[in-house]
Amino acid sequence: MISSYTVGIYPRSEDLIEATRKNVKNLSSLYLKEKKEYVTLQKKAGLGYICDPLVDWDDIYRPFSKLKSANLEALNRVYETNMFYRKISFGDSFKDAGNIIKSNLNISLLPANRSVCMVEPYTFAESHTSSKYKTREDFIISLAKMLRKEADTLAKSGFDLIQLLGPSIAYNPKVNFEVVKKGLEIITKGLKAKTILHLYFGDISKKLESLLDLPISGLGLDATSTPISSIKRHSFSGKLLAVGIIDSYNTKLEDSDEAIAQLNDMFLQTRPNEIYVTTNFDLQYLPKYFAVKKIFRLGQIARGVKIA
Amino acid sequence: MHKYFPTQEIGSLKKPSWLLNIVKDPGISHEDKAKARNDAALLNIRTLEDIGLDIIYDGEVRRVEMYEEPVRHIKGFEFAGRVRSWDNKYYRKARVIRDVAYQSNFHATEFKFIKENSKHRIKVPVTGAYTLADWSFDEFYKSKSDFVIALAKKVVRPLIKDLVKAGARLIQIDEPAATTHPAEMDIFRESVNESVKGINAKFVIHACFSGNDYSVLAPQMPEIKAKQYTLEFANRDSWNLGVSDRERKGYHVLKLFKEYGFKGEIGIGVTDVHNDRIEPPRLVRDRIIYSAKALGDPSKIYVNPDCGLRTRTRSVAFEKLKAMVEGTKMARMAMSA
Repeated sequence: MISSYTVGIYPRSEDLIEATRKNVKNLSSLYLKEKKEYVTLQKKAGLGYICDPLVDWDDIYRPFSKLKSANLEALNRVYETNMFYRKISFGDSFKDAGNIIKSNLNISLLPANRSVCMVEPYTFAESHTSSKYKTREDFIISLAKMLRKEADTLAKSGFDLIQLLGPSIAYNPKVNFEVVKKGLEIITKGLKAKTILHLYFGDISKKLESLLDLPISGLGLDATSTPISSIKRHSFSGKLLAVGIIDSYNTKLEDSDEAIAQLNDMFLQTRPNEIYVTTNFDLQYLPKYFAVKKIFRLGQIARGVKIA
Repeated sequence: MHKYFPTQEIGSLKKPSWLLNIVKDPGISHEDKAKARNDAALLNIRTLEDIGLDIIYDGEVRRVEMYEEPVRHIKGFEFAGRVRSWDNKYYRKARVIRDVAYQSNFHATEFKFIKENSKHRIKVPVTGAYTLADWSFDEFYKSKSDFVIALAKKVVRPLIKDLVKAGARLIQIDEPAATTHPAEMDIFRESVNESVKGINAKFVIHACFSGNDYSVLAPQMPEIKAKQYTLEFANRDSWNLGVSDRERKGYHVLKLFKEYGFKGEIGIGVTDVHNDRIEPPRLVRDRIIYSAKALGDPSKIYVNPDCGLRTRTRSVAFEKLKAMVEGTKMARMAMSA
């Protein structure tokens, strides 16, 4: 058996969708009720790490719009999906950051084995704007410093595992790995939590050597966009490896036997220090009924993998 | 119809609230609901005619929306539930679980009604195969290409054939997803060509801007069997008057279409559908004049909003269309001066 967890935002139930559309008075209690249900469900599925399902977040960046220097702007497409997020323009600095993510979680619902996600600085900077910084690199470094404060707060709050979401690193054909490295170093150096960089929306086969060089505890890959065969050629010795074997972009349920066989073979060849299976990205791309099935399938697959 | 710059809408308008109240009321009979839909369609038709558009439809007033409406009528799909578009906006997303099949002309009633009630030229919007596939979950086909081409051959082509048999001469294939996956442009091209194969009608493609400024579409355009593209330009353009490259930055890509050898028509979006501000007619005029020069042939320019206006209130939508018609008149005068 290996460990497991989900990545990102969960889908809202039909009732909660209606409630948010109507902006009902007891919305916050409905959010809490649904969060409790999802936490119970993750436990029942036997996942190794339990996450806040973030059903009250409008997108993965939205809590940062509460910063004093932030302004919400136009809608922007999430890579090549049919989902959109609101761009944020940042003015001055991020002095008031440090508790943004934590204050938007319901930590009391979570057990000790808890995980949380945040967007890494390269992806964050590509998705938003700032008039203050002359170069993209300056913006990335400043964001990294802000995210470090957030990461420290989360680590102090008992989050052993911090998922760093880096879809831009996977999606863009050309990536400035020097800048990515600088940003990640600011976040991870001396941090009292494991950090796994999740890479989805693009094939990372050709970037693996650069990725394995990054100052993070491990890599999380999306098995639908990066062929597992390309991963097997690399050694993950000294690193953690999280495989996004559950596809959050299709309702079709994964065949557990097939997935377990693939993973056993992969882990045997890559020899990572620790192994996880995960969703490839946010379950919110599915309706709740299918997301629930996939969470249980994730647990089932994790239990089936045998490390030699 | 005008020789230069015929005006048209793209498709959807916000439904009148009285219609929604009637349609949702379980106490109202099917006959009365059908009558209400006819009344709403007639209201839209007359309003668009009175505004002065050359080419019209009914504001898609009978359709749920452009994805859910066709999927309801195609065999092989089942609705999976709602999936977020953004914030608290959701759409019902379907999954394909067996081979798709066409059942009947699901736009027959609306088309017949418009044909009987307007002497204007009619442009029928039809959701394209690529978008239908891209916005669905696929649990059946081996590849995206197989899914898209099955929809093109087995659903969209027979639908268009039936519409043409019923008298349609101008079909707009709506493909908002067309350029969202740059690596799949060959699938998109093949899907359109398969959808229109062997059918004698004029075809228009409507594609939304997906962040790549149509640069991935331009090389495909000469190879796609469509006479016209209706595209978004206004939402990236400045609001300053003028006909130079500096003011008309939203329309530069027209030159790229010409460079790639596209010889057809472009329906230029001159109205931003995500903004309540009404475009001054002089701004519309300048956008048209710039576009005519950029494409090199004014007879190939049609004028329309960027996209369907259903996200605006009806009054804002109609004011925007009036300004568009007024600005087009000014552009025609400028061209003939």
